[in-house]
Amino acid sequence: MNAPFFKFGYFNTEISLVIAFIIGIAFGFSLERGGFGSARILAAQFYLSNMRVLKVMFSAIVTAMLGVYYLGVIGFLDLKLIYMTETYVLPQALGGLILGIGFVIGGYCPGTSVVSFATGSLDALMYILGALFGIFVFGEVYPLIANFYNSTNMGVVRLPEALHLSYGLVVFLVVVMAVGAFALAEWAEKKFAFRNPENEK
Amino acid sequence: MKNILSKLSLNQKLGLIAILLGLIALVAGNPFDSNEVKVNIKDIALSTVKNSDKIKPETLAEWLIEGKSDFVLIDLRNPEEFEKYTLPEAENIPLVTLPEADLYRNQKLILFADDNLRAAQGWYILKSKGFKNVYILDGGLEGWKNNVLFPRLSSNPTKEELSQFEKKKAIAKYFGGQALTDSGEVETKPEISLPASSSQQKTAGAPQPKKKKREGC
Repeated sequence: MNAPFFKFGYFNTEISLVIAFIIGIAFGFSLERGGFGSARILAAQFYLSNMRVLKVMFSAIVTAMLGVYYLGVIGFLDLKLIYMTETYVLPQALGGLILGIGFVIGGYCPGTSVVSFATGSLDALMYILGALFGIFVFGEVYPLIANFYNSTNMGVVRLPEALHLSYGLVVFLVVVMAVGAFALAEWAEKKFAFRNPENEK
Repeated sequence: MKNILSKLSLNQKLGLIAILLGLIALVAGNPFDSNEVKVNIKDIALSTVKNSDKIKPETLAEWLIEGKSDFVLIDLRNPEEFEKYTLPEAENIPLVTLPEADLYRNQKLILFADDNLRAAQGWYILKSKGFKNVYILDGGLEGWKNNVLFPRLSSNPTKEELSQFEKKKAIAKYFGGQALTDSGEVETKPEISLPASSSQQKTAGAPQPKKKKREGC
């Protein structure tokens, strides 16, 4: 038995949709339990008073990275089969900037807005409607920006190849970076505790 | 030691485990190198004997006309030969570069070269690397030429053969070839020239190159 299971044909597309549904529910549940259903906590990340987003994201990244790396090393997981998005430098930089601005203003990213709406928050509903409207506008103007959208394509880029480092070293560096970020986060939370939304009431 | 560990919070312990795993990763090697090659000799031999690893040129022609896109057509010849003539929608991956080629194991791959030999070598390389859906275009370009581009009617055709030949004629025309009859005028020409390069074929109404399927979030 080898992974990824779908690519090796252990189940078909219909079953994969069922599995995606189950994983999606687990994902949404975890996000909500992690506190990602609150726009106040999410936005506080940008004022360095509540570092929950950074901590949760970096924990997830490190856990997934170590898992994928070691499963690949023992030969269980074929890393070549894992889909990777291609890198388009300028369009992705601009897209990231737009997403970041929207995150600060609205207090959600697309995924957490859905999570928050599931808890009954109406501002999240407005956020979702806005995102859908943005998708619609993007679709309508796509022919005009298609050139930019497809520009500066670097293909699939992985850190070890881009930095000319070994995979193990990159794994180690990311772990060190994450642990360092956790320590910094703890420090920042103490320093800016006075404006942490969790400390109010 | 036990004292120090018990003083740490759960978060710190988890952080410590992550650092330890990261340290081991320094010497654990490249996760991309570990894909062992396992060959099921019996399976390979059986599929060769049963011909289940071959696709007939006529079948491929029908798929191309129908615009089927669940397969990748791979031309194993040199780039120069590929430039001169190739099949519609074919990708050029010369045999030497095949082991490093960026192919997906879940794709249906159809290999071809001038004849079966080179395609069979490529077929074995991919099979040994764990690719399951690898096929050979039976007869290669030679077979394509004889069966699709310039199909020939036998001298004493039965009614059934005749009706099939009508269909073959249409298919040959679609790909820029021409059907031959034993008494036909084309027969007198000693050399059969291949239709112009693939780029011209595409403008002649051949299926558009398919878009690469994208996935992800």
